[in-house]
Amino acid sequence: MTITETSKIGIAILSLYGTLDALSAPELRNNRSIIDPEKTVVIDLQQVDFIDSSGIGAIVSASRQKRQPSGGIVLACMNDRVRKVFEITNAQKLFHIFDDTTAAVDFASSRQSASA
Amino acid sequence: MKTILAFRESEYAWVHEKFPCVHPLLLPLCNKPFIEFLIDFAILAGSSAVRILCDGGLGEVERYCEDGSRWGIDLSYASIHPDDSIHAMLGKNRKFCGEERVMIVSGFSFIRYDKRYDYKSFVSSMPPGEWSTCPGGRITLTGVPTKAVPDWLIADLSLMPLDSMTSYYQASMETLKTGESRYVLPGYGDEPECAFGRNVVISKSVEIRKPVSIGNNVQLLGNAIIGPSAIIGSNVIIDRESSVESSIVFDNTYIGEHLEIIGRIASGNRLNDPKSGASIAMEDPHLLSGIKKNRHLRSLPRKIVHACVALVIIAAFFIPFIILWPLLKLGGHWKSSPASFLAERTDETMPLAKVEVDASGAAAAIAVALSLDRYFRLFRVVTGQLALIGSTPLLAGESRPDAPAYVPAYLPGVFSYAEAEEWAATGGDATIVERFHLAHSNPLTDIGLVIKAFINRFQEKSTI
Amino acid sequence: MSSIITLTLPGEIMFARLASQTASSLADLVIGENREESAKRKFCHAFELAVSEAVTNSVTHAEEFDAPQMLTVTFEFEPRQLTVSVRDANPPFSIDKSAPDIESYPVHGFGLKIIREIMDQFTYRRDGDANIITMSKSL
Repeated sequence: MTITETSKIGIAILSLYGTLDALSAPELRNNRSIIDPEKTVVIDLQQVDFIDSSGIGAIVSASRQKRQPSGGIVLACMNDRVRKVFEITNAQKLFHIFDDTTAAVDFASSRQSASA
Repeated sequence: MKTILAFRESEYAWVHEKFPCVHPLLLPLCNKPFIEFLIDFAILAGSSAVRILCDGGLGEVERYCEDGSRWGIDLSYASIHPDDSIHAMLGKNRKFCGEERVMIVSGFSFIRYDKRYDYKSFVSSMPPGEWSTCPGGRITLTGVPTKAVPDWLIADLSLMPLDSMTSYYQASMETLKTGESRYVLPGYGDEPECAFGRNVVISKSVEIRKPVSIGNNVQLLGNAIIGPSAIIGSNVIIDRESSVESSIVFDNTYIGEHLEIIGRIASGNRLNDPKSGASIAMEDPHLLSGIKKNRHLRSLPRKIVHACVALVIIAAFFIPFIILWPLLKLGGHWKSSPASFLAERTDETMPLAKVEVDASGAAAAIAVALSLDRYFRLFRVVTGQLALIGSTPLLAGESRPDAPAYVPAYLPGVFSYAEAEEWAATGGDATIVERFHLAHSNPLTDIGLVIKAFINRFQEKSTI
Repeated sequence: MSSIITLTLPGEIMFARLASQTASSLADLVIGENREESAKRKFCHAFELAVSEAVTNSVTHAEEFDAPQMLTVTFEFEPRQLTVSVRDANPPFSIDKSAPDIESYPVHGFGLKIIREIMDQFTYRRDGDANIITMSKSL
């Protein structure tokens, strides 16, 4: 898996490419923006072609590290394959999910300023 | 134009409680799932794409509706939070909405529309804002109108909250009454107010009183009275002398003999009173008359008859079995693996071999056609562990909420009653057929049914 | 006529991906060209996901007992279905049928839930010293 990190109005955007499974999950877990409890992160899942329960576990664990568990990690651009696994595990209930990265960043930014 | 259909679990929690066998968005109204009425309306309003949003699971809805190609639209799914406002929903679906006009139908409510109206022109000319509302439901439009409202245009509609069994019953009966004139409803029929699905078998003495809507694979037996105002789902049997009036019978329900269902909703093993909301659960999920057990089912004469017939079959097929079995076994065409099946007694299991014969050669084809794959199981009939004919043995450990092992009418057999019928021996159809025979058969009819099952298997296997 | 392909893999997490990608390729091979593209994608994805879950489960279970073992993944093609079995020599594990809770943390038990949801049949049995998970799905 490849992680590309960019930033917009103080929000980190992690774009994931490839497979998010038990092998690649540590890479996400150990990402600096993920580890930082104060940092609000948008994870763009558009290019994730495969995710399993270990991948879901890594995203859930990332949200648990944040000061604001329900708003510290915002998900964007889930494709059908990824959405299906979220749906089976019920993990979609834990996140705000957007179909557009810009909208996700706007939301994350408003949450961040509200909590500041 | 695009449409968003948004629901919250809390709005339809009552459906989970009253009708646990169906996803609330697939709750049938006049034999058509609720969500299809909304999709139809979205199409009438000119939508090319519909997105279903929910804060709960949508897996079953997605399996049913798929990508919407059946309706010629793009159908997609997304999740929301229970406290998301319309503004938040639009933000979460910004890419889907784009720059187009969006109609948001939110809440678990039924839209009373009329397919004869020109909603497309109406929607494209309406100013943005709330179009219609009811407690718990609303239709909102966003974006600028693309046309001016013509003076002559009428496109009435109203919303009806589906917040209880009472309102669900009212909506169903209203839909049945207004019928095809307002909505697109399933079924065929030459007469108005009478819609029939596929494979509906009606005995001559059955009386049909309009309006009725009947689903697929339904048997209406002698002297049954159906209607007025009866909605019968799919895979249903209405047994002799029973009447169904002003009532809804859900899919996979068997209404036993001499029953009067008036002003009720029958669903599996539950009989509900839509007015009071009260419901009674019967013992058997598919047998509404299941409180009266078939006395013959476990009787000694039945076991003796089954054992004797099994001995006759064992003797008759001994020679082909003793020739073919070693041949197939050595050739790798006979595969047997141990498995644990649910026994007749609740919570007990029994080991049985799962035999698979690869019917690619002549010997294997003969073995399969002669049901030799069941030969070893015949000995279990002699010892009384299996019936010669009964229910399809169910694998232990499979998650089946309606597993017959938990109800009185389950009797694992070498052959199944479903195999004796011409219906497909799988799924809900098979379950219904098995329940019917478990309630009605006796040792003598069992012999006839074994012969039928044997012939059916022979014909099926010899034509593959 | 059925055919069988067997993979024997070291019980390390990197091989879970190899097994799941193999499952996807074999599912693609067996489903044939005549099916709709979306049905093909769903079928292949189901096997990729189920095998990933089963093998990951087996490997992490072995790690808990500090006993990485070789494991065997068997693919059996039949005319109308594909069956995959994962066999390992780990201590037995319990199959909890109750739905795991996503709110609890750390997240556990979702692998088997996913397999149950996407496969037509799922069984777990203990054969001597081995755990065998069998999953199948009709074409």
